[in-house]
Amino acid sequence: MLRKYFKEATLHPAPLAVFRILFGLLMLIALVRFWANDWIETLYITPKFHFKYFGFFWVNDLGVFNYLLYSICIISSIGIILGYRYRLSIISFFLIFTYIELIDKTTYLNHYYFISCVAFMLCFLPAASYFSLDADKNIKVNEVPAWNIDALKLFLCIVYFYAGIAKINSDWLIEAQPLSIWLTSKYDIPIIGEILQLNFIHHAASWFGMLYDVFIPFFLLSKKTRKIAFLFVIIFHMLTKIFFPPIGMFPFIMIFCALIFFDESIHQKWISQLRNIIKNIGDIINKSEIVNNKSIYSKHKNHGLVLPVFICFFIFQLLFPFRHLAYPGELFWNEQGYRFSWRVMLMEKKGYTTFKVKDSVTQKVFYVDNSDFLSSFQEKQMSFQPDFILEYAHYLAHHFENQGHENIQIFADSFVALNGRPSQRFIDPNIDLNKQIESFENKKWILPLKDEIYGL
Amino acid sequence: MKFNSSLDASVFLKKHLLFFIMKKHILLFPVLLMLLLNHCSNDIEETIETEVVTSSNEATESENDSNNSNSQNTTTTISFDHKEMLTNWADKIIIPSITNFQNSLTEFQEVSKTFANTPTIDNLNSLKEIWLISYLKWQYIEMFDIGIAEEIYFKNRMNLYPVNIDRIENNISNKNYDLDKSSNFSSQGFSALDYLLFGIDENENKITAKYSDSSLNYGTYLNDIISQMVELTNQVKTQWEGSYRESFIESTDNTATSSINLIINDFIFYFEKGYRANKFGIPAGVFSGKPLPDRIESYYGENYSKLLSLEAGKAIEQFFNGKHYDDPEEIGLSLKQYLDYLETDIDDKLSERINNQLKIAKDKILELNDNFKLQIEENNNQMLATYDAIQKTVVMLKVDMLQKLNISVDYADADGD
Repeated sequence: MLRKYFKEATLHPAPLAVFRILFGLLMLIALVRFWANDWIETLYITPKFHFKYFGFFWVNDLGVFNYLLYSICIISSIGIILGYRYRLSIISFFLIFTYIELIDKTTYLNHYYFISCVAFMLCFLPAASYFSLDADKNIKVNEVPAWNIDALKLFLCIVYFYAGIAKINSDWLIEAQPLSIWLTSKYDIPIIGEILQLNFIHHAASWFGMLYDVFIPFFLLSKKTRKIAFLFVIIFHMLTKIFFPPIGMFPFIMIFCALIFFDESIHQKWISQLRNIIKNIGDIINKSEIVNNKSIYSKHKNHGLVLPVFICFFIFQLLFPFRHLAYPGELFWNEQGYRFSWRVMLMEKKGYTTFKVKDSVTQKVFYVDNSDFLSSFQEKQMSFQPDFILEYAHYLAHHFENQGHENIQIFADSFVALNGRPSQRFIDPNIDLNKQIESFENKKWILPLKDEIYGL
Repeated sequence: MKFNSSLDASVFLKKHLLFFIMKKHILLFPVLLMLLLNHCSNDIEETIETEVVTSSNEATESENDSNNSNSQNTTTTISFDHKEMLTNWADKIIIPSITNFQNSLTEFQEVSKTFANTPTIDNLNSLKEIWLISYLKWQYIEMFDIGIAEEIYFKNRMNLYPVNIDRIENNISNKNYDLDKSSNFSSQGFSALDYLLFGIDENENKITAKYSDSSLNYGTYLNDIISQMVELTNQVKTQWEGSYRESFIESTDNTATSSINLIINDFIFYFEKGYRANKFGIPAGVFSGKPLPDRIESYYGENYSKLLSLEAGKAIEQFFNGKHYDDPEEIGLSLKQYLDYLETDIDDKLSERINNQLKIAKDKILELNDNFKLQIEENNNQMLATYDAIQKTVVMLKVDMLQKLNISVDYADADGD
């Protein structure tokens, strides 16, 4: 049966076309917004030093040429919308967007990772076979393998479900943290600001958020519940936008992506509507206007390697978020295996980390002023993430060695507070970080959290 | 279909609008798009938050606002009253401390004129006396680096140390100096006065002798510096007396540019930099690897560094606990009460831990030599231990308190991970 599904089951390509257009449109807005906020300058060009992902130390910012990268990325997203030179557009978008994200892990966001994953899938999918400038006007593709569309649905389901089960922990469900801290501080929202002060609301919101994330994929999959589920998608994500404005484009990306769950016939209607409007307003897209009966209908065939690539991709997606099981200690505290696993909004973590530079021979000691080296955003992120602390310690050692200091040892004086707990020491102050090597091995110099968080 | 007239266009629009209305699920599309567009425009407005806090409304407008929100205040009972906290800060702490400081500066100016005219040792001593009184009062003001104070670099021009004595001597002998230049910030203010009153020569007789010789120009420079300090203080005072106070207490939001966030950031910055680092850390050599005893506050006055830092500690404790400047027995809303509100269900209160730690640090300071220079030279470890005690409070303020208050410092998008 599975073989039959992959070989024979087909769907109309309209959902892919709609997905492609909306994805391109959102990316266009997101990129322009990023540029308009001057974040290219402040996040990538101004900082003297970038925090690298393990294994991607070779990725570097290109100075002013970062603007060139963004320009190509913006052009690519227009190409994606129009379906013009689609394959080239989506591949260049995927590569450039991912490259930019790899420059500095300070800016890591789950939804940037989400975008990279979706763009990766779109590189292989026939998203421009229908309603695009690329589409052949004579040979009309009216069937694509069903799994091409289902793959996107599956990915969304994984994102939601994994985000949901990550919320099944004692901090989230019993202490209502970090929502308790976050919602209380939204006292300035008109009308509801008062309600957000109530402890009961924090618990209700936590449980609602968890139940939403866990169950929404199933309600979206089932035709009966789909419409009401989509209404919940809108409500949920708009609420997050109101409560947490800094989450940026994420709510809109999720809302639009969820449209993929609707039947192909609905997508076809949307496209015919769109087509009518375009036709009526002007002959902008000449190709799609011609609907002659003579055109030959055909079925899109994937390249033989596409299916294996997707199988590998999904195996990775299913397993990678559980890599934290390989590490001892509290995941929220040591963050070993925290990123790239759909753990969203789970922690309110603040840190204060200063570094002591010591000459092991003369015993001379001085402290570093972090603002000499890091942007305030980088300092904030560095203060509570062990891999940042180690990387920065190495950078400092290197810097002071070049200045002529000798026998350098670097010690961190680090304090972190997690989800409303009192702050406690984070890094063993007697460990010379200059001697520690970054790897996937357990970082023994992180002091354990003096509390227990139960759950997944 | 092509339309040549506006009539055709409206027919076309109607037809399509009807279609949208008829198809329910299609409705979602334009609605979503509108939401998106709306969001984007909001977003841009949010991010172009420049520092417009000081651009206050016209007086009449803000009066109306205050009436409105006064009536609102009666309804807000569940949640913490942020406006009352801001009002307490403005009316009971900031404005009274500036007023008091201004009065003592004015007196200082009088005495200094007298001294410049008749430089006797008696007059020098009364000048030193009023200098110390003003300097102590200044400790209550330095942390409020907000509004016009921030714009005119108030704190840097009033109390930047170490003082640049070469520059001062140059200014005095050249008789040609522009105190508004940033290169002259370290040759004016309290630290410059410290040098002028205690350090220009080895004893009081020789110092008064220098002032007696009017061709040397010391008296003029002394008076110029004090006039400058009076002038700057007047500017700050005038702003608070105007509509600024109103816009300050109205700005109750939790945004990067709201009064609450600005003041809390100022307070923490002052605690970490102006108090911890300048008064203790830097002279003790925490950041340099070797002690720098000449970096203490009031280096030439010698015996005042401890007194000044104790007063600064008192100012910090009073602000944190909401104690009124004029009568510290009276207590209004401040950070302590705010934290207690957020920790209603918690027994081990952060505010208590902070107060305990402030007390521990104070006790350590009390044990130090009156002159930090001697303390550092004789037993710097005791100085470093004091620094460590203060440092513990920095962690509580920057990590624990900021987490509880969830002060927004919007650098970029963040989804909480």
